[in-house]
Order: sequence, then C-alpha cells, then structure tokens
Amino acid sequence: MHRDLVIKWHFPHPAEKVWECLTTPELISQWLMKNDFKPVVGHKFNFFTKPIPKMGFDGIVYCEVMEIIPGKKLVYTWKGGAAPDNLSLDTILTWTLTPREDGTELLLEHKGFKGFKNYITSIFMNSGWRKHIPRRMAEVLNEMK
Amino acid sequence: MRTTLDPFQAIADPSRREILMLLTKEKQTINALAGNFDMSRPAVSKHVKVLYDAGLIVINNHGRERYCELSPDGFNSVKEWLNYFDKFWHSKLQNLENLLNQHAKTN
Repeated sequence: MHRDLVIKWHFPHPAEKVWECLTTPELISQWLMKNDFKPVVGHKFNFFTKPIPKMGFDGIVYCEVMEIIPGKKLVYTWKGGAAPDNLSLDTILTWTLTPREDGTELLLEHKGFKGFKNYITSIFMNSGWRKHIPRRMAEVLNEMK
Repeated sequence: MRTTLDPFQAIADPSRREILMLLTKEKQTINALAGNFDMSRPAVSKHVKVLYDAGLIVINNHGRERYCELSPDGFNSVKEWLNYFDKFWHSKLQNLENLLNQHAKTN
C-alpha cells in the first residue's frame, strides 16, 4: 500500500511568485486555508478548515516549520485528528520548487501516512507474515511504550 | 462502521493478538476460537467484542453460528486519507494556479 502522496504541478510563473504564495499567510489563505504561518524554522502554526467527523478530523491542522531554503524548499509537519491530544494524522509536507524555462515546477510530497490500523494491515498482508509476526508485534509494542 | 475503541488498546492484550493471528488464517466462529484458549467461551467472546469495537474484525451470522473475520474496512483509514488528500491537493493547487494567473494579469 502506498503511504505517500506525490504531486507534480507546473506553473507558467516564476519561482519567486510561487514561493510568495507558499510562504505569505494572506496569500496562503487565498488558495489553501486560513493560517498563522511564518517562514521561520521551529514556528508552530495551524490551518483552519471544515471538520470531517467521519474521518476523525476536527478541522484544525497542527504544523511546525521544519526546513526552509528560500525560494526552493519548504518543509512542515501536518498533524490532525479528532482533538489536539488525539492526533491520528501525523504527516510531513514538503514543497520543492524548480525553475524551468517556461515557469516553475512544483513538487508536493505529503508523506508519513500511517496509522496503527495500517500497521496491523502491513503485518497481516505482507508476504511472510507468519514468520515475522512475533518480531513485528514486538516492534509495535515497543512503539506503544 | 463503528470504531469506538483505540486499536492500540485492542491489541495490547496477548489473547486478542492471538485471536487476530488465528483469524488471518480463516474466518472462525467464536466457539472455534475458544477452542484455542484455556479461558471460558464468555471470556473469549469479550475479547472478540473488543476487537469488534476497535473495527479490527467483523462478525457475521450464518445460521446459528457467528463468524469472526478480519475487517478490511478497519484497515483502510490510511487509504481514505490518501484519497482525500489527493483530491484536496489537486483542488488546492488549481486554486494556487488561478491565484498566480490573476496576479500575473494585474501586474
């Protein structure tokens, strides 16, 4: 099962314009969501949107800026869930800009989708699970500590 | 699908892990499952209910027997998120493109 999302998008605009839209709170809110982003490593911020109760999501995304290479790369965590103390979605978002002759290529990587249920799935569905179950169960239990 | 219990809790118990492992081989009745354990059938039944509440198994009635099976739906949360975000990001990136186009016109 794929656990990462990778999307490439081409914009017929210079990289600095795209970067501006990725890192200016007012602009971000125009195409993505309301937010209190700051382009500072370690800055904690939120996105605010509609809750999706069916998927256990309260409508608030909890983020922290991990890495910034101005004009080129932006990485932040992307966590969400039913409540601030119950964040089942624990992912990382990476934006990479590459200038092209006719504009900018944007690579969006949304990674780290895993849930406990998924972990169990991989235990049961992977080939050779019979042999590996004891070890992998032990890993799971260690993660639970 | 109802999931009222954290799957973490559900598999924290060795007997419940054993039940899950037995169910990876084939679906089984609660009676058949109970045959693998020293504990009473009601005790096994209780564990089965916990696994059911965590969304890890489904229980189907066939005649008088109740069959327990691993629940594929219970394992799908990641897939749901991926599908959701795939649509989400495509729509947001389209917004971003529209925004950039607007700005380019006005400048």
